[in-house]
Amino acid sequence: MNSRCEIQRRPGGGGGFSGSPVTGSPAMGAQSRRRKMAPRPADYKLQIIIIGSRGVGKTSLMERFTDDTFCEACKSTVGVDFKIKTVELRGKKIRLQIWDTAGQERFNSITSAYYRGAKGIIVVYDITKQETFEDLPKWMKMIDKYASEDAELLLVGNKLDCEADRVIARQQAERFASRISGMRFCEASAKDNFNVDEIFLKLVDDILSKMPLEMPSRELSNSVLSLQPEPEVPPELPPPRMRCC
Amino acid sequence: MLSSRFFLIMEKSEQNFCSEGCSDPSNLVSEDGKNMKSVVCQRCGSKVLCPGMAVFAEKQLFLPSLKKNIKNNNQSDGTFDGDTLTAHWLVDDMYTFENVGFTKDVGKIKYLICADCEIGPIGWHNLDDKKCFYIALDRVKHV
Repeated sequence: MNSRCEIQRRPGGGGGFSGSPVTGSPAMGAQSRRRKMAPRPADYKLQIIIIGSRGVGKTSLMERFTDDTFCEACKSTVGVDFKIKTVELRGKKIRLQIWDTAGQERFNSITSAYYRGAKGIIVVYDITKQETFEDLPKWMKMIDKYASEDAELLLVGNKLDCEADRVIARQQAERFASRISGMRFCEASAKDNFNVDEIFLKLVDDILSKMPLEMPSRELSNSVLSLQPEPEVPPELPPPRMRCC
Repeated sequence: MLSSRFFLIMEKSEQNFCSEGCSDPSNLVSEDGKNMKSVVCQRCGSKVLCPGMAVFAEKQLFLPSLKKNIKNNNQSDGTFDGDTLTAHWLVDDMYTFENVGFTKDVGKIKYLICADCEIGPIGWHNLDDKKCFYIALDRVKHV
């Protein structure tokens, strides 16, 4: 069952998980009658958060390239707050709002606001670092405390590319996940881009399975964390000017 | 000098952008003021906006420079240089975007970046104006 997570990589899927281009989607409205393909709003909006101990590769799971880009500057200065990504699944267009909690790994520093609206929670550990696995119960405690009960959970053992340094056996993590109701497990390598797209697709698929059939997207969007931070959200204010290096 | 080398790079890339038609937005804006083409990342091609989803808007916004290689931009005063850009695609809901990343707050501003390769800033959002998300025409490609 767990191995279901390792969906076959899509052929020619260099496009990350940002979805294959939709062709021939049903026209949605008359406002763009001049175009062959009408703009199509998203069918669903889902919030996903990525949590886990420091250094397990949470951010890498959101990235496709890691070198030589603005992120070099971002990481040390401003930082990426969240991303909107679009996936296509079951003929539906789904907008994901993905929050990476990197930099706030102290268990109590990630406030409830991040958890509250999340429909999917990805809990990451590093298969080469025992302590990141031992931290999992603490992360679970946070989920129990703050997250919605019906949030889908996915445990990800990252850094599969470092198989030689593995200290957490696959079975060990499978056992951990099986004790938590509704938690799935898979291993991935953000570095090699192995299973990364699938992680998100799998999670979204699980979320969709749980949804009442025609749930209005309006209702869903309410669950999404707004950009206006609630008073309790702590993001430390960066300096007023972006600095380089 | 490093900084002059950087400017050479910028000039070159600006020429590239303009060959995409940014110098003449009329190629890109439909009669009803919307984007005729898809808006994609100029570096990795990640789709930011589908055709017809944004309206053309003119507003003077300062965006720090796109840096293809930050090591080449070793500015001594530690500040970002950038451009004041006027031509933008405007959307009123962040879920209009196909793929986009938001930086953490810089004062009242969140910069928009490519969701996949994180090049940026490609756009601008003011936290005080919840209904305005701008993508600079000069910082993206139109296909």
